[in-house]
Amino acid sequence: MRALIVEDEPLLIEDLEECLLEEQFNVDLAQKLTKASDLVAAEEYDLILLDLGLPDGDGLDLLKTIKNDHQETAVIIITARSETEDKVKGLELGSDDYLAKPFPIAELRARIHAVMRRKYNINDNQIAAGPVKLNVDHIKLLVNDEPMEVTETEYKMMRYLMLNKNKTITRIALAEHIWGSKIDDRFSLDFINSHMKNIRKKLSAAGVENLIKTVYGVGYKLTTYETE
Amino acid sequence: MKLNNKILLSNTLLTLIVFALSSIGIYYLVNSTVYGELDNHLLQHKIDLINQIDEDASSLQDIKELGILGSYEWIDIQKYDGTVAPNANDFATIDTMRNPNKEIEKKSYRRLTTAINVNDTYYTIRLYEEVASWEHISRTILLSVLAGLLIWILLLYVLNQFVLDKVLAPFYETVSKLEHISNPSDLTETFPDTTTYEINVLNRALNSMMHQIRSSFEDQKQFIQNASHELLTPLSIIRQKAEKILSNADALDEQTIKAAGNIQDTAVRLSRLSNALLLISRIENRQYSLDEDVEITNITENVIDELSDFIEMKQLTMHKEFDCTITVKGNSELIRATIYNIIQNAIKYTPSGASIFLRTSCDEEQRIFSVLDEGPGIPQEFIDSVFDRFQKTQNHTHGFDDNSPGLGLSIVQSICRLHDFNCSAHNRPDKGAEVSIQF
Repeated sequence: MRALIVEDEPLLIEDLEECLLEEQFNVDLAQKLTKASDLVAAEEYDLILLDLGLPDGDGLDLLKTIKNDHQETAVIIITARSETEDKVKGLELGSDDYLAKPFPIAELRARIHAVMRRKYNINDNQIAAGPVKLNVDHIKLLVNDEPMEVTETEYKMMRYLMLNKNKTITRIALAEHIWGSKIDDRFSLDFINSHMKNIRKKLSAAGVENLIKTVYGVGYKLTTYETE
Repeated sequence: MKLNNKILLSNTLLTLIVFALSSIGIYYLVNSTVYGELDNHLLQHKIDLINQIDEDASSLQDIKELGILGSYEWIDIQKYDGTVAPNANDFATIDTMRNPNKEIEKKSYRRLTTAINVNDTYYTIRLYEEVASWEHISRTILLSVLAGLLIWILLLYVLNQFVLDKVLAPFYETVSKLEHISNPSDLTETFPDTTTYEINVLNRALNSMMHQIRSSFEDQKQFIQNASHELLTPLSIIRQKAEKILSNADALDEQTIKAAGNIQDTAVRLSRLSNALLLISRIENRQYSLDEDVEITNITENVIDELSDFIEMKQLTMHKEFDCTITVKGNSELIRATIYNIIQNAIKYTPSGASIFLRTSCDEEQRIFSVLDEGPGIPQEFIDSVFDRFQKTQNHTHGFDDNSPGLGLSIVQSICRLHDFNCSAHNRPDKGAEVSIQF
């Protein structure tokens, strides 16, 4: 999953980035509104942490753009402004949550989880697809209640596919969600294939077959039928 | 050759030719004047002689014996021997001795040979005049004229040099300014007005042309920036729509899924391309501040960390040979992007299991960061243009279908230009390529 931090305070950036990396996000940074609006226009983010007070403009304008063009993106506003008016305005404009500085990182973490649950319409931090259960908040994968060893990348792939279960995910979208957009896609797609091969091998060793289907020439689809 | 030297040289050559020609001319002129004068003299003597003999025919014998007339002339009278026609005057210059017993060296004489009739007897008369004294005069004249000319030429040379330097100074100022322009964004220089009409015309033309180039270049950069920014939003909408189609793929047939997948892929690729162009134009429009202290080795470690997934997957060995830490002033985000691109390229082209060498080296003159890979190297036809926009290598031996536009190294170059770094790429002698940045 991809996140964007729009914040101009270097120290806070460091904390936020660390937190998001721990949550297995791919993180982009923007210290200025121009950079942020370039990124927002170009990329699909799952989560944006947005500081309203930026050196070159008002973050609320960016929020408008985000909500206009990217309804799917979750936005958590982070700001020193604690006035109710701002809070209301931000929430009215469609931000998903609001944090006033200073705040403990644990709170941010909890809010991220909450926002992501809402975004993906899940009730629990654990999501299930057939015999596979995955924790969205830390690297943990259970197959038939037995833990399965996965690498970070494999976990990111599984999480993205499980959050989007029954949807076809293109390989390029998958690559982008793991490595961001800086990576050359002609290069990363091969890696997606290799990682997928490894995941399937591990799943198959744990007795799960055909959970992830290849949509030939397009990407992958994680299918579960038990929901009906 | 420089213009002023050319003018000076041609001037000097011309004056030397004129000098040579005039020396020859003067030599002949002086000579002919001297001989003409001598001949006149001799004729005068002849007339004197004839006059004297007319008065007194017997004096012929005296003169013959004495051999002189007046004070110094030398006259030789003989019986007519037919060497000249009667009454004809034949002039000649000869070297002889008047008196072989007394003299040891021949002297140069002008001789008039003529024949006169005295009492119906013809005599051959030879009148001699010594040339030496006359020649002395002529040589003095010649030398002083030539010396004058030579001094004049030297003066002219020095003067020319001085004047040319002065006159051409504004022209050379223009030329040196032009020589320093390497990039359209350097076209901020203006050429001043001078007192020389032609240079004024030249400078004004240059000013207006440079202004036009600069403004159209600025416009172009601004256009690229705006266009690539404006393209991003519609592209991301196309992408979202395609993703929406794919999200309920159950209801779709295979062909639709494939088409939607392709639309999404293409939209993603296009938006990356726009993004790269946007980055390049933002760099070229100098919209980044360059006042951070950036530590190259730190950033390199960071980048390796970020790319560790790929490094592990390809089982590459990263050899870090950091001889020194390099700290530069610049924009950390951009420098990071540079190193990221270079290392990513190296990972891309290096075959599985091989090594990549990351080096820093410093000496008094330069600090260099270089990345050496063990890939197929840069194809010969692209070696000079790897940093150019949209240049891609068409070498398929590395196993990737590499048809994405090669903007990566172009971004590297833009960033290096912005920072005044020097980036270069060449093939290593054994295998692989080396890309280095000189700070």
